[in-house]
Amino acid sequence: MYTADIRQPLVTGGKTYSDVTKDVCRPIENKPTSSWWLGFSIAVILLLVLAGTLAWTVWEGIGTWNVNKSVMWGWDITNFVFWVGIGHAGTLISAILLLFRQKWRMAINRSAEAMTIFAVFCAAIFPLFHMGRVWLGYWPLPLPNAFGSLWVNFNSPLLWDVFAISTYLSVSLVFWYLGLIPDIATVRDRATTKARKFWYGFFAMGWNGSAKSWGRYEVVALILAGISTPLVLSVHTIVSMDFATSVIPGWHTTIFPPYFVAGAIFSGFGMVLTLLLIARYVMNYQDYITTEHLEAMTKVILLTGSIVGLAYITEFVIAAYSGYEYEQYAFANRMFGPYAWAYWTMMFCNLMAPQVFWSKWARNTPWFIFIISIIVNIGMWFERFVIIVTSLHRDFLPSSWVMYHATWVEVGIFLGTFGLFFTCFFMFAKFLPVINMAEVKTIIKDKE
Amino acid sequence: MVDKSILLDNKKFTVGIFDDSDKLLHAVNTLKEKGVKIFDCYTPFPVHHLDHALGYHRTNLTIGAFLCGLLGCLSGFTLAYYMNVVDWPMIIGGKPQDISVFTSFIPVMFELTILFTAFGMVIMFFARSRMIHGIKEDLLSRRQTDDHMVLAIDNDQDQSLSNKDILELLRKEGAIEVNDSKEAFNTSLTSEEELTKILKSTKTSTKKTKKK
Repeated sequence: MYTADIRQPLVTGGKTYSDVTKDVCRPIENKPTSSWWLGFSIAVILLLVLAGTLAWTVWEGIGTWNVNKSVMWGWDITNFVFWVGIGHAGTLISAILLLFRQKWRMAINRSAEAMTIFAVFCAAIFPLFHMGRVWLGYWPLPLPNAFGSLWVNFNSPLLWDVFAISTYLSVSLVFWYLGLIPDIATVRDRATTKARKFWYGFFAMGWNGSAKSWGRYEVVALILAGISTPLVLSVHTIVSMDFATSVIPGWHTTIFPPYFVAGAIFSGFGMVLTLLLIARYVMNYQDYITTEHLEAMTKVILLTGSIVGLAYITEFVIAAYSGYEYEQYAFANRMFGPYAWAYWTMMFCNLMAPQVFWSKWARNTPWFIFIISIIVNIGMWFERFVIIVTSLHRDFLPSSWVMYHATWVEVGIFLGTFGLFFTCFFMFAKFLPVINMAEVKTIIKDKE
Repeated sequence: MVDKSILLDNKKFTVGIFDDSDKLLHAVNTLKEKGVKIFDCYTPFPVHHLDHALGYHRTNLTIGAFLCGLLGCLSGFTLAYYMNVVDWPMIIGGKPQDISVFTSFIPVMFELTILFTAFGMVIMFFARSRMIHGIKEDLLSRRQTDDHMVLAIDNDQDQSLSNKDILELLRKEGAIEVNDSKEAFNTSLTSEEELTKILKSTKTSTKKTKKK
């Protein structure tokens, strides 16, 4: 087999096949550690905050939020786009990197896909509760109804979004589960307790690693990757169309789809890095998630961060060049208006901070990468806040200009979604193999 | 639980267990050259070229996937066209609501294409591989999903070589364990005590090869 000697091995520590199995199954087969309990408890407390604030929203009404007739989309849609964006790295890593034959994806794709699914759960909460009457949340679906033949409007990008996000969630789940099956079978065959035998046996669907099944499995995985790639790109494209097809200055731009997709990959990788750096440290996976992996991901951050930065500047130049005073005002207001602090936070976090990754030291120092990944997460939240709130708060009619600040309920829901996200993630880390064992076993002898 | 096995029940197999995928691949090629019919191989991870060596053809699932995608695309169009053009055109601002708004149907058609392809293909894959929740798994070695690779030969099939020669050949190819009458067992529905009994009873006929 050809090996490139210039590259470092993908798995360090001279692991054998059975070492991989033992290392990955350890958290599943043993009692959770105290650091797991600590993290899980904090996550559950935040989850309770989510439940409480959502219940209060439903009980009292949307008036508990500060959204108003000018800024009708506030923190809720900001958070929605933020979470959907985070949900893009998982499928990107497992689909696009599979098509590009990037073997370093194998150690991280499982957790990134899990992150995708949990992030989409979090995202879905916001538009659903923003409707006000959450129990009518099925109305955007194309169902026959009791109001005559009034169907959903297929000309609306909001409806495309319903289709895009639900397809994305379902396909990501299928992709994730398919990847899990051989590993669940591994856990099943090692299981000694009755409950573990039963449940892992149930979800392994009789997998026994036959060469016939593997042959089909690989083809199915490849095709799924092939169709997931345009799917990932379509989802954030459609999310951007929620804005771009309107006539609001600051939203009505053709650059939005590629700019949003780059931003989604950027924020997704930011979150993947945050999570993996913690998981790598807490679960002792330094041999599987090596500095090579971190370096590869920081390069993606650098690239997409620069694309996003270029988009910010392009947007500004186009507005200045357009000769359209409302567009020009919207951008001047972003930079120097009452929300200038948010704009410059965004510029610092997304355009400037990732540029440190030109340095090899920065790309190879875990604690430093961790700090930058947090900055990226913050920056991408502010990007959505800037796009939504600064464009809305001063519209064509100066008499309806307002300022918008979130209430404690809106802040609580946002913090609460982190609770949901991390509760799911801690459960995942306890009950399922965090690293794709079957794939990692194919590369333990490889260098790439 | 569904009481149906992927392999046929009560079949006996001649197996060679390997701990290295290259050795397994070599053994498969050698056996094939000698005209031995191999039932299947079981590996913890996909071994490249193994399916070719075993003479398996590339799966036709891709054609099925394409058809599902086509169905999804047509469903998307039918859904949008029927609802917004045929049944109840929503005329907003006097704009036409006919086939000329086709472009706004594209996102939904696209998403349904992907959805139908993914689900259709995965369901076909499960059906083709006889996989369903609750089915018993048939294992020939407990470590075949961990670090051992199993080469299985059906004892009911006529072979060009005698059973003894096959075992000898497997050993020569570097099998760490060979067995001429192995029966399938499952882990998920068997208690740990029974499992140790099963594994012990088959161990008696096992001869370990000497390590070089």
